[in-house]
Amino acid sequence: MKKKVLGVLLSAAMVVGLLGGCGAPAAADTTEKTDEGKTEAAAEGIAKEDIKVGFVHISDPSDMGYTYNQEIGTKEMQEALGLEDDQIINKYNVPEDAECDTALRELVDAGCNIIFATSFGFEDYVKEVAAEYPEVQFCHATGYQASDAGLDNMHNYFASIYEARYLAGIAAGMKTESNKLGYVAAFPFAEVISGYTAFYLGAKSVNPDVTMDIMYTNSWNDPTVESQVAKALIERGCDVISQHSDSTAPATTAEENGVWQVGYNNDMIEAAPKASLISARIDWGIYVTEAVQAMIDGKEIPTDWCKGLGDEAVYLSPLNTDIAAEGTQEAIDEAKEKLISGEIHVFEGPLKGTSPEGETIEIAEGDYYHEQEEKSAPSWCYIVEGCNVVE
Amino acid sequence: MFSTLNSLFIAAVLAGTPLLLGALGEILTEKSGNLNLGVEGMMFMGAITGLAGSYYYEQAVIKAGGSVSGVLSALIALLCSFLAGSFGALIYSFLTITLRANQNVTGLTLTIFGTGFGNFFGEYIGQKAGGYVAVSDVTKAAFSKIQIPVLSDIPVLGKLLFQYNWLVYFAIILAIAMAWFFNRSRVGLNLRAVGESPATADAAGIDTTKYKYFATVIGGGICGIGGMYMSMVTTSGVWVHGCVSGYGWLAVALVIFATWSPLRGMLVALVFGGLTIMRMYVNIPGLPAQIYDMLPYVATILVLVITSMRESKEHAQPKSCGTNYFREER
Repeated sequence: MKKKVLGVLLSAAMVVGLLGGCGAPAAADTTEKTDEGKTEAAAEGIAKEDIKVGFVHISDPSDMGYTYNQEIGTKEMQEALGLEDDQIINKYNVPEDAECDTALRELVDAGCNIIFATSFGFEDYVKEVAAEYPEVQFCHATGYQASDAGLDNMHNYFASIYEARYLAGIAAGMKTESNKLGYVAAFPFAEVISGYTAFYLGAKSVNPDVTMDIMYTNSWNDPTVESQVAKALIERGCDVISQHSDSTAPATTAEENGVWQVGYNNDMIEAAPKASLISARIDWGIYVTEAVQAMIDGKEIPTDWCKGLGDEAVYLSPLNTDIAAEGTQEAIDEAKEKLISGEIHVFEGPLKGTSPEGETIEIAEGDYYHEQEEKSAPSWCYIVEGCNVVE
Repeated sequence: MFSTLNSLFIAAVLAGTPLLLGALGEILTEKSGNLNLGVEGMMFMGAITGLAGSYYYEQAVIKAGGSVSGVLSALIALLCSFLAGSFGALIYSFLTITLRANQNVTGLTLTIFGTGFGNFFGEYIGQKAGGYVAVSDVTKAAFSKIQIPVLSDIPVLGKLLFQYNWLVYFAIILAIAMAWFFNRSRVGLNLRAVGESPATADAAGIDTTKYKYFATVIGGGICGIGGMYMSMVTTSGVWVHGCVSGYGWLAVALVIFATWSPLRGMLVALVFGGLTIMRMYVNIPGLPAQIYDMLPYVATILVLVITSMRESKEHAQPKSCGTNYFREER
């Protein structure tokens, strides 16, 4: 009897503990705008033959998505600078936990002068290890802490992918028949929210009636959940699926269910030729090449680096003309020109939004939100009307 | 509301099938008195070999200038994954049955080995193929939902029951066949005797070693097929790193949840499958997604607590499970 009571009590305790843990999840605060300039220059140049470059990736290039795209950037850099294969060390499939710390230290031990960590969740470990090894340069993609870290050897970099997503949204907005888009989103972070809002605004610019359902996978890279979420969105009536997640699973799921898809990171037409319309991509090679070149020249690497459409740091993969709506290419080209010239802006007023924490923002007519201009990390974290987060 | 439940049911079946296959393999294994914790590993081995089988078959056919047959490709995947899972289980069997190594440790080692095996060869084949392994559309179609004339066209019911991929029906038939085998056949009775009390079975003239080997190896093969489901159906014939990701462990938990009954296994696999994808279909305002993601595991713990309190003789683990049988020790 005692055992039974104890068992019931323990189970009850567990359930209560679970419910107690239901507080609002703390989100990354990316809205701070302090920028401490770096005073000291990096050490004098390193001979090209002596340079060693390390990479820490969350997945490996077989994801045909995020890490694959990073790898292309690495290859670009290697070719541009003429580095040997053994001058580049890649750590693949590193989870966003203490293993990242180990991977970073292993790269330092292997003699790397510059290390790139390419996933959002690596940032805390980068900060920690960077503080210990001031002679090694650490560059973290998609992060936001470098400017506040007070470390000369820590840098953030990203590209203004929201511009490319806006253009990709045009293809989705013109294709949709149900006027309902679906978005497989990784986390409710600014990077993701900024991306899908831009995508939605792009679709809305050509199709005022369009709405979008957003569902989170709570993982950057989990193909099983990505495909299940995509399936659930399709069941909700979405007929164009886009994604901020690393794999091609949303694309293959869309194809299997006879709807369309807009990709990220990579031209996904090969994975889903009957579904993938177009993809928004980042050219990581530009930054990686610049950063390694700066090491060779003994120059300073900027704390925050962000380039966009005008510099071709973000771009679109070729449109799948077999399935895209007529006139899509023209509409995209026109919007692209206007974005580059500054005639239109992605987050342009009048625009209202609410962040997951309940903060609101209102952009007046004629004004626009200066996304990724001061810091490299996206900071738009407001959900606009027409976007419906399913959770 | 009704259509949401429909969609939830369909998604639950799809998510539950690999769990069911893994659990069926483990039930068969445990019925012989072997507790094989290597389900995750065997599923990984099945996942990569199934995919590799189809992929290399396609490459060979394309090279020879022929056209790929979807049915053949699917059968090759089935066979390869079964053999790979069996191979993993064979290592386990040799270590525990013949050499009498500790079952828990051997099983855990098999999980680690199989996970590495799957991911290593997945990456290797991917890199050889230019960074990416994906099967052709023909094979993909062979693993997508089937269309049975008349039956699949029945409104509502057709979609609910007759439009899954063939592996779903395969798993259901396997569960029914296994239930019949345990409860209605002589060999099944002998196997259960081996699992309950190998010494008694031995005295009755049953070859315990043979029974243990066969049950464990075939059980491992079935786990392998469950893994193949992950790589061929869930990720649509594309190798992704770590695609089994914990499903093997859920399958082990499911065995206990199903109280070692294949028929009940179908039901609980559906429940577990449903719990893993519920948040995408049923929205309780204010409940964070992380809580939803915990549900299958919370259910597992609750079930473990409840079953250990019930102490039912009929629905218990085979008695000799986890211990090796050594005739001279009687």
